[in-house]
Amino acid sequence: MALGLIIGLVVAAIVLIIVIAFIYYYNRFIVLENRIDNSLSQIDVQLKRRAELVPNLINTVKGYAKHEKGIMQEVVDARKVLLAAKDVKKRVEAGAELQNALKSIFALAENYPQLKANENFLQLQQELATIEDRIAYSRQYYNDSILEYNNKVEVFPGMFFANLYSKKEKEYLKIPEEIRAVPKVEF
Amino acid sequence: MVERLSFEDEISKNKIKSFFLVIVVITFFLLLGFIIALIANPGYFFIIMIFSIIISISYTLFSYYNAEKIAIASVNAKLASPTRDKILFNAVENMSLASGLPMPKVYIMKSDRINAFASGRDPKHAIICVTTGALEKLEKEELEGVIAHEMSHIANFDVRFMTLTAVLVGLVSILAELFLRSLWFSSDDDRKGGGLLIILGIIFAIIAPIAAQLVSLAISRRREFTADATGVKFTRYPPGLRNALIKIKKENEPSQEDRKRYPKAMAPLFISDPFKSRIKNIFSTHPSIDERIKILERM
Repeated sequence: MALGLIIGLVVAAIVLIIVIAFIYYYNRFIVLENRIDNSLSQIDVQLKRRAELVPNLINTVKGYAKHEKGIMQEVVDARKVLLAAKDVKKRVEAGAELQNALKSIFALAENYPQLKANENFLQLQQELATIEDRIAYSRQYYNDSILEYNNKVEVFPGMFFANLYSKKEKEYLKIPEEIRAVPKVEF
Repeated sequence: MVERLSFEDEISKNKIKSFFLVIVVITFFLLLGFIIALIANPGYFFIIMIFSIIISISYTLFSYYNAEKIAIASVNAKLASPTRDKILFNAVENMSLASGLPMPKVYIMKSDRINAFASGRDPKHAIICVTTGALEKLEKEELEGVIAHEMSHIANFDVRFMTLTAVLVGLVSILAELFLRSLWFSSDDDRKGGGLLIILGIIFAIIAPIAAQLVSLAISRRREFTADATGVKFTRYPPGLRNALIKIKKENEPSQEDRKRYPKAMAPLFISDPFKSRIKNIFSTHPSIDERIKILERM
């Protein structure tokens, strides 16, 4: 009688642990996936904010450096690609292009002292530098979140539940490394 | 060539260590209670004990739920303005993005010395406060390193953690005190245990609160190391925090006025010990700056 009771309790405890594990892993995967989605939209917000600043920048530059049409066209095109991109991942790639094009504009400003001294231009330069930092940090957090998710999916016993819920590893956000390597603009 | 430290390993190592330290404090508490139960008769003694535990817990709960308000008020900090303190706001926003934590409220306190602290019971109620000295003397990367360290305190729920250990240490002290006092009042007939047991009990009751206090200080130092490592995870740039610490190290001893400005109880939450005595030992809330710099150099 007592033995039956003990066996019953042990079985109940094991079943309870298994049920808790099922719920825990299900919730964990959802939470981590939401975090990934959310951090991606954080990047998106910054990318859009950057695209919004571009027309203003072009207008300012035009006033001082009319002849540099090639570079300005590059920026305008990159912005168009970014705005037309269908998903965030495409936008991130286009954003990297835009960043490169913007870099050439700021390099070009070195030849136009008046432009360099323009207050509007300086402010835009600062703002764009700030946004660049934010994109870099948001991207880092996105990849950190992917790492955490992938660890959960791949490591025992999570991999068992990942299979069950058909959760697969996700890919990191890859962007040409040079962008991260650019020294942050000091101001 | 020194082996390179990964911040992930450092974070988890430090977490495990502080977990064990908490276990040690709890064990002290239980052991002390057990010894007392062996020696003394449960009577009026336990009623007093429960009473004082309730008082100390409600006191701690109050300060826990108002942690950030008390902190701001006690250093007389002012809310920072997003337009005027742009560099500070950018640094905090960057670190909030890198850590995935909500943007904390940002405060500035007047002090020529480089320092900063974080408070709030959870990330939603978090605040970060930096000194005017830090804003003047630190470069952008260094400021980000300092903010990242503070964000780590928030991310690691250090206010909650330190409150918990403070409660435990307090309980150990109360228990020990009550035991020692009860010995005066109880007659020999009341006691179950023998003479040796009582002497052991007295020794333990004297040692336990001190030991618990030392353990809690060890935890505090451990949390500082953890916050350094987590901070590096956020900035991915160890030299930032390292250079900030080097600048802090080069500062003079705090003046009497400065000492008054910092409430003693808040010391564990500052990035560097505001009382900064040259001697670093088991009674310090912070590990030595040199040691922290050395670890950051290896990351």
